[in-house]
Amino acid sequence: MFDEAMHYLQILTVDPDLAPATPEEQREAMDALGVWLDGLDAAGASLLHGSRTRPPEDATTIRIRDGQLIVTDGPYAETKEQVGGYGVVECRSLDTAVRWESRHPHARMGSVEVRPLSGGTRAGRLPEPGPGKARYLLLVCTDPAVDSRVTGNLEPPASARTVRVRQERVIVSDGPFADTKEQIAGFDLLDCADLDEVIEIAARHPMARAGILEVRPLWRHGED
Amino acid sequence: MVAADAFRQEWGRVNAALIRQTGDWDLAEECAQEAFAQALRRWPRDGVPDRPGAWLMTVARNAAIDRLRRGRTHRAKVEELAVMASREMANGETEAGAGKDADDSDVPDERLRLIFTCCHPALAMEARVALTLRTLTGLTTAEIARAFLVPEATMAKRLVRAKHKIANARIPYRVPSASALPERTPGVLAVLYLVFNEGYSASAGDDLIRRDLCDRAVDLTRAVTELLPGEPEARGLLALMLFTRARQAARVNERGDLITLADQDRTRWDQAQIQQANGQLGDALAVGRPGQYQIQAAIAGCHAAATAAGDTDWPKIARLYRHLADLTGSPVVELNRAVAVAMADGPAAGLALLRHLEAGGALTGYYLLPATRADFLRRLGRNSEAATAYEEALALVGTSPERRFLRERLDSLSRRP
Repeated sequence: MFDEAMHYLQILTVDPDLAPATPEEQREAMDALGVWLDGLDAAGASLLHGSRTRPPEDATTIRIRDGQLIVTDGPYAETKEQVGGYGVVECRSLDTAVRWESRHPHARMGSVEVRPLSGGTRAGRLPEPGPGKARYLLLVCTDPAVDSRVTGNLEPPASARTVRVRQERVIVSDGPFADTKEQIAGFDLLDCADLDEVIEIAARHPMARAGILEVRPLWRHGED
Repeated sequence: MVAADAFRQEWGRVNAALIRQTGDWDLAEECAQEAFAQALRRWPRDGVPDRPGAWLMTVARNAAIDRLRRGRTHRAKVEELAVMASREMANGETEAGAGKDADDSDVPDERLRLIFTCCHPALAMEARVALTLRTLTGLTTAEIARAFLVPEATMAKRLVRAKHKIANARIPYRVPSASALPERTPGVLAVLYLVFNEGYSASAGDDLIRRDLCDRAVDLTRAVTELLPGEPEARGLLALMLFTRARQAARVNERGDLITLADQDRTRWDQAQIQQANGQLGDALAVGRPGQYQIQAAIAGCHAAATAAGDTDWPKIARLYRHLADLTGSPVVELNRAVAVAMADGPAAGLALLRHLEAGGALTGYYLLPATRADFLRRLGRNSEAATAYEEALALVGTSPERRFLRERLDSLSRRP
């Protein structure tokens, strides 16, 4: 029997109290990520693309209300665990994904939310951004209580699983990593020359009117 | 010109040009600082150079080249800077500065880029204000901290964070495109107005630094009117600031107590500034695109035109407030309109407007709401109701001059039953 591979978005979060503080702890976390990636490949799954994101201080939200473009500093929601990275994982089932995510270093320093990409959305490898461009993660967020027309490319928050490891115990909960008013409904990656170009594109996004778009620069190699 | 004047006039330009040339905000600031420190040491001894701006720019740029060389990276930038230095030396003229005749500086004017970047909407408002003051006016971190009543470490952190966000999120260092300009200009003007108001309507503290804030806001706004000559709201804002600042000397008495517009000694109003303000407002209105700053300036202009409080054209002011309220939807504007209507048509008419505002609830907790009601009631001779309203206002107000003013009014009620 051949199982068609499924695609999931992993949302990596960081709890400031659990984040690696010393350079040694950071190195350990990097090593653990290498081990995790090796294991993932060995299990016939793979990370199609993914990256750490710059911290919430570098986030910008964009929305349109009454025809007015509103740009603000900061993330879409003030949560204790904050988005710190993303990945698109290909594997056989949600259970497999959850099992693998329990070994992800972020499960110890925050959480890993796994969310199936909605039906029909296919993911592939992603080339590096072209010269002079930087990559940004765009999170499409909506308030399910206000707007039920979720047009994101993710299955609804209820289908999410969130994995944490605390005191060597794996804790898997149903639902997203935080119970916020707005919830992540979709994501996108934008390769742009600068933030103004990102804002211009985001302002034309169909969900800019109904939801909130958060953009986060991705971490570039060699940055502190 | 002494070093302090040069500092005031040239800091923003030197800093803006250096950021443009190096792409490094911290490096630019360090080198600008070094150039001004050298000026302070050398000018008193050697005399002020003929072209102080060019002198400062050269010293600052050389400092940047030194630092970049020591860093051993950024070779391309070093070359670019060196080329730019030699070209300017040869021409004695700068590209961006050329063609601007109002401009007697030798430093290319990149300040518009800098101000649009500092006032980028992706930065928090408090960060925009701090960054604008630090990078464009050269106020020190300690001075800005004192002006906004926060610890210096907090202000330093705010500035560092803002600069990091500019670098990490790639907020571009440029003037927005013509199509984005109308959307972004109000944000710049809002920051300038906030700085001015913070200086003018002292929520507390040190007078000197606050007066300085006002002056810096005026200087910067004037620069924006020159750099964006087609923007009537920038001129409107400049006119508004000038009308307001013209009354500064008459606004408080020797004890620092507030004097209302009606009671101010109008001979102490600065007529030169009023004249300048009228000129700016006239130019702005001639464009035919009115906006909130132009209307506010027009209102301030009505007051400035009245040689005695009794000559004030209140019906015109009430109409202008109506226009402004329609444009902004602001309840504070509506409160001001009630004051103007009370002057034009009597306190009873004002009181009726206040009732709407109070029912709306948007100004609950704002001391000027009960203070205004108290004033209307006092003028209607309803003294005991007025006293209650004054007490309500006193419970809400934080600064001493306003408290003393309300207390005096309250006391005058009991003296004159």
